[in-house]
Amino acid sequence: MAEITYICKRTVVSTKPTQPGKCHSFSVLDHLMEKNHIRIVYYCKSWGEKEAGEITVSLRESLSEMLTHFPKVTGRLIRNEKGNWMIKCNDAGVRMVEARAKGSVEDWLKSVDREKELKLVYWEAMIHKPYFWSTFYVQITEFEEGGVAIGLSCFHLLADPICATMFLKAWADKTLGQKMVSPPFFHPLPPRRPINKTSNHKPYTDLINHYKFSIENSTPFLDANDTHTTITLSFSDHMVQACMDMVQPTSAPNKPNPSSPFEALAGLLWICISKVKGLNGLVNMSLCLDQRKILGLDKGFFGNCMVYNKVHSNGLEEHNFSQATKVIGEALEKMDNEGIMDLIEWLEHNDSQSHPLMNNCDLICASLETVEPYSVDFVGGFEPIRVSYYVEPVIGIGQVLIFRAPSYDGPLGRVVMVTLPKDEIVKLCEDELILHLSPRILMGVARNYA
Amino acid sequence: MSSSPTNKADGVQIHQTRILPDFLQSVNLKYVKLGYHYLVSHLLTLCLVPLMTMFIVQASQLNPNDIHQLWLQLQYNLVSVVIFSTIVVFGSTVYIMTRPRSIYLVDYSCYRPPSHLQAPFHRFMEHSKLTGDFDESSLEFQRKILERSGIGEETYVPEAMHFIPPRPSMAKAREEAEQVMFGALDNLFANTNVKAKDIGILVVNCSLFNPTPSLSAMIVNKYKLRGNVKSFNLGGMGCSAGVIAIDLAKDMLQLHRNTYAVVVSTENITQNWYFGNKKSMLIPNCLFRVGGAAVLLSNKASEKQRAKYKLVHVVRSHCGADDKAFRCVYQEQDDVGKTGVSLSKDLMAIAGGALKTNITTMGPLVLPISEQLLFFSTLVAKKLFNAKKKPYIPDFKLAFDHFCIHAGGRAVIDELEKNLQLLPVHVEASRMTLHRFGNTSSSSIWYELAYTEAKGRIRKRNRVWQIAFGSGFKCNSAVWEALRNVKPSANSPWEDCIHKYPVQIVA
Repeated sequence: MAEITYICKRTVVSTKPTQPGKCHSFSVLDHLMEKNHIRIVYYCKSWGEKEAGEITVSLRESLSEMLTHFPKVTGRLIRNEKGNWMIKCNDAGVRMVEARAKGSVEDWLKSVDREKELKLVYWEAMIHKPYFWSTFYVQITEFEEGGVAIGLSCFHLLADPICATMFLKAWADKTLGQKMVSPPFFHPLPPRRPINKTSNHKPYTDLINHYKFSIENSTPFLDANDTHTTITLSFSDHMVQACMDMVQPTSAPNKPNPSSPFEALAGLLWICISKVKGLNGLVNMSLCLDQRKILGLDKGFFGNCMVYNKVHSNGLEEHNFSQATKVIGEALEKMDNEGIMDLIEWLEHNDSQSHPLMNNCDLICASLETVEPYSVDFVGGFEPIRVSYYVEPVIGIGQVLIFRAPSYDGPLGRVVMVTLPKDEIVKLCEDELILHLSPRILMGVARNYA
Repeated sequence: MSSSPTNKADGVQIHQTRILPDFLQSVNLKYVKLGYHYLVSHLLTLCLVPLMTMFIVQASQLNPNDIHQLWLQLQYNLVSVVIFSTIVVFGSTVYIMTRPRSIYLVDYSCYRPPSHLQAPFHRFMEHSKLTGDFDESSLEFQRKILERSGIGEETYVPEAMHFIPPRPSMAKAREEAEQVMFGALDNLFANTNVKAKDIGILVVNCSLFNPTPSLSAMIVNKYKLRGNVKSFNLGGMGCSAGVIAIDLAKDMLQLHRNTYAVVVSTENITQNWYFGNKKSMLIPNCLFRVGGAAVLLSNKASEKQRAKYKLVHVVRSHCGADDKAFRCVYQEQDDVGKTGVSLSKDLMAIAGGALKTNITTMGPLVLPISEQLLFFSTLVAKKLFNAKKKPYIPDFKLAFDHFCIHAGGRAVIDELEKNLQLLPVHVEASRMTLHRFGNTSSSSIWYELAYTEAKGRIRKRNRVWQIAFGSGFKCNSAVWEALRNVKPSANSPWEDCIHKYPVQIVA
């Protein structure tokens, strides 16, 4: 099997130094994600006949150029007067690890699992002196027989998976010599629009209650690597269509399908995971969605903008697919501008020092619908072979990430990455609903050779 | 006594307590000195004037008869006339042939490393911390030195030090040397259009890195220099080796006519970073940075047209006979076995002493006669009358227009500014080079000259004094004279940032 040799670790800096003395503080949504980190892996085929190491050099140079636009990424963490984190934009740079792997990318992908994949994306936990700790890590692994794996890991305090993908997109654009499509901008979250302030305004308590519950009930942190594992399922266009059709109650065949691919797949997985856990009802689930559009922010907004909401499973019939999906749709509707504004205001008032692990209590189902990970093109004309997302650490019940599939899987195609305890994952793959839809298993469970 | 405003209820009262006559006195003295200086410099011309008038008066009194007499006398003494003219012609030929050839500096080029090699303070401290070799007090010491060093945030550190952990190796050291030397040489050859086969002499100096084959061999290999090129590689001679290399090239150009000499001055940092905790050895980490310069010299008369400078003097002083001076900058292993260059606490005093030795030799060569007479007379007065006056320090500002003091560190520049009584504008080139490029060792005097050129200050017949200090302890000087109003060459290292300078260096 392909072995990875680490060549070196270095610091990559931007080509133009930033103005000294600039500082960047974080929003309340950022602070909640303090205990998490994100890892993304991109697999690309190699371009042209290049000597070993040349691809790494060209990627490193384009990264240097691109970092000029991301002063927040190259800065370092310091504490402000209130004791919260903030970034000092001192141009310290990001860490880059360079590695080589035997074999080709295609061979690797045939038998990859979570443990192996995580070796392609380097991450370092915060060190004793955070002032010297890099918040972003990039790993470039060149496969000897062709292909490149680009791994990005970052501290969730600074970015969510959406803007991390935009970061990679900007890097890819720079590598190909193109201009950035959505240049990043670093702003605090927008304040409430004044026209909406009415005198008899009832705050939406749903979101607030959910956050309150999560913060209070967050259990202490445990290392999840040994207990959980991740699989990747790829649902092509017609599979998702079939899934959405299953949601539609048979009594009204002519009504247009109200549910979206995310709702359908989230509902499907909710039911399957609940079955796998052996529960009578449905497991507690929270949805996590990108709110940039709802808050009126540009796609380039760099920071955390994903909000969680609980899906209420009380009073649902056991494992009824269409009902489950309907409830999901309702929860999604609750995440509107008003509700989020109320949530942000509440969080700002209740600014506590200890920031919990947000994805701790429930099954988290996150939608990364607003980005197209497969449109990030490092090579020039070729989509990446595969993209993987991890939001770590996952403890407790589990995590589901749903994002768009490559174009050959159609516009409705989706990739689902499920993280659950090891034994439950095996049962999930054998679940009848899932087998009925028969998605492609891109990354399965590690096979233990006895 | 000082003047201070006193705030009273009825208004501000400023007490005028300065003694004005003191100031006036010094102004008068200055003009007297200037007048004396002009008088002595033009003494010969002033003496010639009465002689010339006498001669003209006499010649006008001659009548044609006297001239005819003169001509007959010469005709009868043909033999003596012929012998006399032969002696004159022969004598002048010998004189012309044995005069030292003029050495012209055609052009020079300083290397500017790529921006990803920059080491701003934070990155320097971060990488130093992450190596794990330095304890807290060493890190704090390095931070303090950095802050007070006069070094800016855009200086360059070799690639090997940008890794975590740093990866110094011979291969990386060779890479650094190649990048710097070839970068400077490529630029020099592009600017001067000189062909490789025309280069007859090559001198390279690099103190701390001496591989086999030598750096000069690397250059011969890369640029395909001709088989009979006279190549020299000076190793271990410290930061003053740049002037030593120029001196060697100058001597070689006296022996070999009609040729070019290339001098490459550089230093190598990759394998010379100190990873221990002895304070005296940590200072070079904070000050030394990547840089190098390539200089093209020639003795061809045709080069006078486009050459920038003419070499006037090179004066070398070696204080190595004194033990303290010898051990002042010493490369050794610390108690744990890690190699580093240790700087002694007497460095400034020894540098001052070496400078005095150098200018004592240099003074008579370059100072105007007025200053020399003053110095001589005050010396005599002191000896004879045992006056308790301070020794007269000759005013070198009268001899030189520009000063390029090796940017060894802020303390060195401060010390020289005081000792030579220079104005801030004279040491500006040194301070700004230290800020922008750090201590690039033997090539810093070339960066400073490039700065002065970029500022457009070099006018025709301006004299430039390059002073370099180095381990040994040595103090070497080179004096150049500008042949025209010099404009900076293409791709000067200051091209993109000269408009930002001079910057105010925070204490």
